[in-house]
Amino acid sequence: MAESSGMTLMDLISADPTPVPAQSTSSSASTTASQPSPASSSAASHLNHPMSTKTTLGERKSKRATLMQIQNDTISVAKAALNPVKANIMPQRQRQKKKPVSYSQLARSIHELAATLDQKSSQKQLVNHVFPKLAVYNSVDPSLAPSLLMLNQQCEDRNVLRYVYYYLARILSDTGMTPGGGIPTPNWDALADIDAGGGVTRADVVPRIVNQLTTEATNSEFEFHARRLQALKALTYSPSGNSELLSKLYEIVFGILEKVGDVPHKRKKGVFGTKGGDKESIMRSNLQYAAMSALRRLPLDPGNPLFLHRAAQGVSFADPVAVRHSLEILSELATRDPYTVAMTLEKLASPAGPLQDILHMNDVLARVSLARLCHSISRARALDERPDIRSQFNSILYQLLLDPSERVCYEAILCILGKYDSTERMDERAAGWYRLTREILKLPEAPSLSSKDKSHKTKRPQPLIKLVMRRLESSFRSFSRPVLHAAARVVQEMGKSRAAAFAMGLQDIDESVHVNAFSDALDDAETNENSHPEGIRRTSSISAGPGRNDTIASLLAALMEVVRTTVACECVYVRAMVIKALIWMQSPDESLDELKSIIASELSDPSWPAALVNDVLLTLHARFKATPDMAVILLEIARIFATKVPGKIDADVLQLLWKTCLVGAGPDGKHTALEAVTIVLDLPPPQPGSMAGLTSIDRVSASDPKSALALQKLVQAAVWFLGENANYAASEYAWESATPPGTALMMLDADKMVAAASSRNPTLAGALTRLQRCAFSGSWEVRIVAIQALTTIAIRSGEPFRLQIYEFLYTLAEGGVQSQLSEMHLSNGEDQGASGTGLGVLITPMLKVLDEMYIGQDELIKEIRNHDNANKEWKDEELKKLYENHERLLDFVSMFCYIPRAKYLPLGPISAKLIDRYRTKHNITASTGSTDPAVVATGISDLIYESTQPAPAASNSSGLDDDLVNAWAANLGDDGLLGNNAPAMSRVNEFLAGVGTDAPDVEEENVFSRPSVGYDDMWAKTLLETSELEEEDARSGSSSPDSTGSVESSISSHFGGMNYPSLFSSKPSSQATIREEPPPPYSYSEPQSRESFENPVAGSGSRSYQSDDEEPRKSTGTRFGTALYDFTAGGDDELNLTAEEELEIEYEVDGWFYVKKKRPGRDGKMAGLVPVLYVNQS
Amino acid sequence: MILAVLFANSVGNVLIERFNGVPAEERLHWRTFLVKLGADNLKGVKNEELLVACHKSVYIVYTMLGDVSIFLVGKDEYDELALAETIYIITAAVKDVCGKPPTERVFLDKYGRICLCLDEIVWNGLLENTDKDRIKRLIRLKPPSEY
Repeated sequence: MAESSGMTLMDLISADPTPVPAQSTSSSASTTASQPSPASSSAASHLNHPMSTKTTLGERKSKRATLMQIQNDTISVAKAALNPVKANIMPQRQRQKKKPVSYSQLARSIHELAATLDQKSSQKQLVNHVFPKLAVYNSVDPSLAPSLLMLNQQCEDRNVLRYVYYYLARILSDTGMTPGGGIPTPNWDALADIDAGGGVTRADVVPRIVNQLTTEATNSEFEFHARRLQALKALTYSPSGNSELLSKLYEIVFGILEKVGDVPHKRKKGVFGTKGGDKESIMRSNLQYAAMSALRRLPLDPGNPLFLHRAAQGVSFADPVAVRHSLEILSELATRDPYTVAMTLEKLASPAGPLQDILHMNDVLARVSLARLCHSISRARALDERPDIRSQFNSILYQLLLDPSERVCYEAILCILGKYDSTERMDERAAGWYRLTREILKLPEAPSLSSKDKSHKTKRPQPLIKLVMRRLESSFRSFSRPVLHAAARVVQEMGKSRAAAFAMGLQDIDESVHVNAFSDALDDAETNENSHPEGIRRTSSISAGPGRNDTIASLLAALMEVVRTTVACECVYVRAMVIKALIWMQSPDESLDELKSIIASELSDPSWPAALVNDVLLTLHARFKATPDMAVILLEIARIFATKVPGKIDADVLQLLWKTCLVGAGPDGKHTALEAVTIVLDLPPPQPGSMAGLTSIDRVSASDPKSALALQKLVQAAVWFLGENANYAASEYAWESATPPGTALMMLDADKMVAAASSRNPTLAGALTRLQRCAFSGSWEVRIVAIQALTTIAIRSGEPFRLQIYEFLYTLAEGGVQSQLSEMHLSNGEDQGASGTGLGVLITPMLKVLDEMYIGQDELIKEIRNHDNANKEWKDEELKKLYENHERLLDFVSMFCYIPRAKYLPLGPISAKLIDRYRTKHNITASTGSTDPAVVATGISDLIYESTQPAPAASNSSGLDDDLVNAWAANLGDDGLLGNNAPAMSRVNEFLAGVGTDAPDVEEENVFSRPSVGYDDMWAKTLLETSELEEEDARSGSSSPDSTGSVESSISSHFGGMNYPSLFSSKPSSQATIREEPPPPYSYSEPQSRESFENPVAGSGSRSYQSDDEEPRKSTGTRFGTALYDFTAGGDDELNLTAEEELEIEYEVDGWFYVKKKRPGRDGKMAGLVPVLYVNQS
Repeated sequence: MILAVLFANSVGNVLIERFNGVPAEERLHWRTFLVKLGADNLKGVKNEELLVACHKSVYIVYTMLGDVSIFLVGKDEYDELALAETIYIITAAVKDVCGKPPTERVFLDKYGRICLCLDEIVWNGLLENTDKDRIKRLIRLKPPSEY
C-alpha cells in the first residue's frame, strides 16, 4: 500500500504546478492527479540514462547510479507532470517539458542548489519545491548531509534554514528502522555498503551533524538565538542509544538551565508567556522553554538530584509549555520517589505558591500533570509522617475538580478514584470510592480573609461527590463525542472503584446516607477545631442531616438515568463505553431488565464491529473478577451476546466466561449458573428474514449464514458444556452417589425411581431433559454432542441416573437398528419410535461401555457372594484379574470422557476394598494408568485467571464448596475447553491488565472468498433445479410464506449442501474426528431433518445429507491437484495445506475447493476447504 | 504518548503519517484500520466535527478538514480529550497555512509547511506548541516569543 500511496502522493504533489510568484511561466496545463501513464514511460527511460551532468559531488556518480538502479527496481515512484520552474533553473540539462520528480532527482537538486546558493532563485527553489517534496519520503539519504551542512553554514535565509534543521533532525533520527512514515526509501546504510567506492553511511555524517548542532546549541549570541533553539531541538531527535551524545545533551541542557533557570523574582499572578518584557527576559524565557522541552525528551534520570532540581525549577518558569514539561517530568519522578519530589516542591505547594498558580494557567496538559503529581504525592506511604504536605497536595488535587477543562476535571476524578494506570490494587480503588463519597472540598482561604467568615457562599465546603455528579451530568448533555466517550469512561471507573469498595466490605459505604451530612458535620466541627485553612475533613461517623434529601444512592440514580439516555448516541464507540459503564455500575441486587434490554437492542445493530463486541464481552470477565457474586447475572448478559451476535463474538472467551462463572457461582449459585448458560438450548431457532423479536432478549437472531453457523457452533458448545459440567453443578458423582448401585438396581419400578431421583436432584434432571430433547431435535452436530454429553453424564453419575440415560440411549439406538431392519421386515405399520435419528452407529459403543460396566458390576457381585458364601479369601490371581478388569474399564471409559482415575470405580463401590488391597500389595499408586493418547489426562489448570480464587490444593477455607474441592481434586475441570482456551485465557488476562496498543483487526468482509449470500440469491439458485424441487420450494425459506422457515435448506444450496461434506462420508472416520468435519447446515426443526436425511448408515456413499434436489454443481468426477503454497486453515471447515501436497478435488464452491489429502496433516484432518487459487489442478 | 498522526485524502490514500513507538509491522494494521474507520464514518460529517473510537487501551480521535481527514491515535495521558485538544491545534495550524479548510490540492501545495507545523506541534510523540502564532513563528525560524 505504501507504494501505491507513494505513487499517488508524489504524483499529486508534483502534478499541478502552482505558479510561484517569482517565476514567469507555469504550465497552465490542468493536470489532474491521474495521468501517470504517458509520463511513466518517458520517466522510466529518463531514469535509466546515466548521469550526464557534472555534480558538485562528482565522485558519487557511481553510487548515484546504483541508487537509481535500485530505486528503479524497488520503488516505482510515480512520474508526474513537469515542473517548469526547474526547467528554467537548469536549462542546460533538460529541455523536455515533462520532468519526473523522484527522490534522486530531489537529492540532486539539493546538491546543485546548495552550490548555487548565491542566487535568490535557488533559495526559492529549495523552499518552495525541493524541500517540501522531499518531506514526502520517510527518510533522507545521509549523502545529503554535506550539502545540508553547507547550507546550514552559508545560507542566511530563514526558511531554508528551518528546513535544513528539519532534515538534519530526520537524518539523526533515522535508525534504519522505518521511522515516521511516508514513502519508503531504501536502507541507506545497506546501500552504501554495496558500493565498493565507499558510500556515505550515517556513521560518517552523524558525528559531523552532531558537532555542528552542538556548537550552535551553545552559541549564546543574540542574533543566533532562534537558530540555537532549533539546533537544540534537532539534537533531541537522536535515538537514545547513543550514550555519548546523550551525556553531551544533558550537559548542554543543564548548562542552559544553570544560566537561566533561577527565577529572580516571584512570578506575578497571571503572567504567563507574556508578550511584553524586555529582550533579556524574553530570551531567558525562550531558553527556559527550549531547555525544558529538550529535558523532557531525554531519558528520565530518577535518583539524580540535579535532574530533579532542574526539572523542579521549571515549575516557576513563565513559559506555559516549559511549565507543562516540568510537571510531566516531576509527575513521572513522583511515581518512583514521591518523598524526594515532595520535599523538593514543599515550598512551592503553599497556598499562594507557584503550584497554585498553575491552576489558572492556560495549558491543559500542564494541569493534567499537576493532578497526577498531586495524586502521587498525596497517596505516598513514605509521607505518612508529613500529613501537612499530603493535605497540601490533596487540596490542589481537589480544586482541580472545579477546572473548566473536562480533561483536567476527569483526570482529577480518576485520581481521586484511585485509578492511575491499570495496576492499582483493589484496596486503592476501594479507598478511592470512599474518598469520593465522603470527602469535601474546602477552598483554601486567602490569608487575608478572616477564617470566621463562613457566610460567603463560594467558600462553603462542597462534598466531592456532588461536584462530580454535577459535572458529569452536564458533560452528558454535551454534543461532543469525545466528551461523551470520556464521561462514560469516568463512570466506568467509578463503577470499578465502587465494586472494589463493596468487595472489600468497607464500612460506611452505606449509600443511603445523606451527603450533606458531612458538610454539616464539618460546620459543626469547624468552630471547635484548629484547622489548616485548606484542611480536608474526613468524617467517619454519619449523622443523618436534617432536611437535606440527597443521598449517594439518589445522586447515583440521577446520574445513571442520564448515562442511559446517552446510549442513543450515533457513535457506536460511545454506546459501547456507555454499556461498559452500565455494566460496571450494576450491582448484584439491582434489577437487570433494563440493562438487558439495552444490550439486546444495541447488539442487534449491525454496525458494531466485532472487536468492540468482544471488548464488552471481556468487560464481563473483568466484572466477574471484581464481584464474583454477579456470576449468574453476567451469564445472563452473556447469553444475549450468544443469541444476538454469535458470529462476532470470540467463542473461546465466551466459553471461558461460562466456565469461570459456573465455578465462581459457588455451591448456591451453580445450578442457576448452569441454567443461565444452557437455557439457550430452549430458545426457538432464528427465523431468517423475519425481523420480529430482533431486539428481544429471548429471541435468537442469525441473519446471515456466517452467524447461523456460529450460532450452531455455540449451541453445540452449550450442549458440550452441559455434558461436562452437569455433574459438578448437580453435585452428583458416581463415586459419591447417594444411592449405591446395588440398591438402585434393585428398585423395581424404573419410573418411580427416576421420579424420585429427579426430585432429589433437579439440576441433573433438568440437564437430562434438555439433552434428551437435543438428541431428538437438534441438527447433526447437536445430536451427536448431545448423546456424547449424555454418555459423559451416565459415566460420571450414580444410579438411577445412569440407568435412565442408558435406557434412553438404548431407545435411540434401537430405533436406528430397526430402521435398518425395516428393509428386511415388513413393516407392521407401527411407528418405530425414534427411527431416523441415525445415531445408532455412535450410540452402540456408548452402550457397550455402559454394558460392560453393568456386566462387570454384576459379575463382581456374584463373585463376592461366592466368596462370602464359601468363606473364601480372594487369591492374588483373582485380585489381579479384577484389577486388570478395573483398569481396562477405566481406559475404556476414559475414551469417552474424563474421569478421575484415582477415584473412579467402574465396577462399583464394592470393588473399592479389593482394588485397594491389590494396590497396596503390589505397591501401585492410584494415579498411574494407561498412557494411551486417547485417554484424556490433563490436570486442572487455573480455572480462574489469577490467584484471587483459592488454589485447589491449598487451604480449604470452610466456605469453599466441598464439591468444588472434589471437582478440582478429581481433575474434573478438564473438559477440553481449557486446553483450547489458552488463547482465551491470555486474551482475558491482557484485558484485565489493561495492556494492548496494537491495532485492531479489520474485519475483512470483502476480502474473504466466501461472502455472505443473501437469501434471494440462494432462492434464485434453487429455482435452477428441476421440478423435483416443488417440495423443496416449500422449505427453502424466505420467499415462501408457508415454509417453516428453516435456514437449513437455503444454506444447503449455497454451500453445495448436497455435496457438503458430512459426517458420514464414504471414508469411515473415527469418532474422535467427527467433531472436526465441517458441519452441515444449521437445522433446528425435527421434520426438516427427517425429510432431508437420507440414511447414512445405509451406506449411501459419499453423498450424504442430501436433499433430493440435484445440484448442478456436483463434481462429475474426482480431479486431482497439488497444493501450490502453504495454506493455514482459518476455520473448522478449512484445511491446512503444505506446498506440493497431493490433493483430490471433490468439488468447488464459490472459489473454494473441497479437497481430500492422502494423509492427514498436522491437525489430523484429511478433508476440508481450500482456496481455488492455492491448488494447481492436474 | 501520541502513537500516530495520519492525514488521508477522500479515497483513503495516506498523505502524511507520523508514528511514535509503533513497531513497523503494526503500522500497516493501523493504516488499514484508520482508513477504514474514516471510510465508514466520515461521510457527511460536518467540517471539524470530532469523532472518537477506541480499541483496548488506545484512543482515536479523527475529523474531516476540507478534503482531508486527520486521525490521531494516543494512549495513557493522551486520551480522547487530550487528542481532541491536539487535533484542534493541528486543524488550526493547517487552516492557517492553507488559508481555509483545504482541498487536497491546496494541502499538497502547502505540504512542506504543514510538515514543519506538525514538527512543532507533535515532537517525539508528545504535544509541544499549542499557540497558533507561536507555531507560525517557529516554522519561520523565529524564536517562540519575540522581542
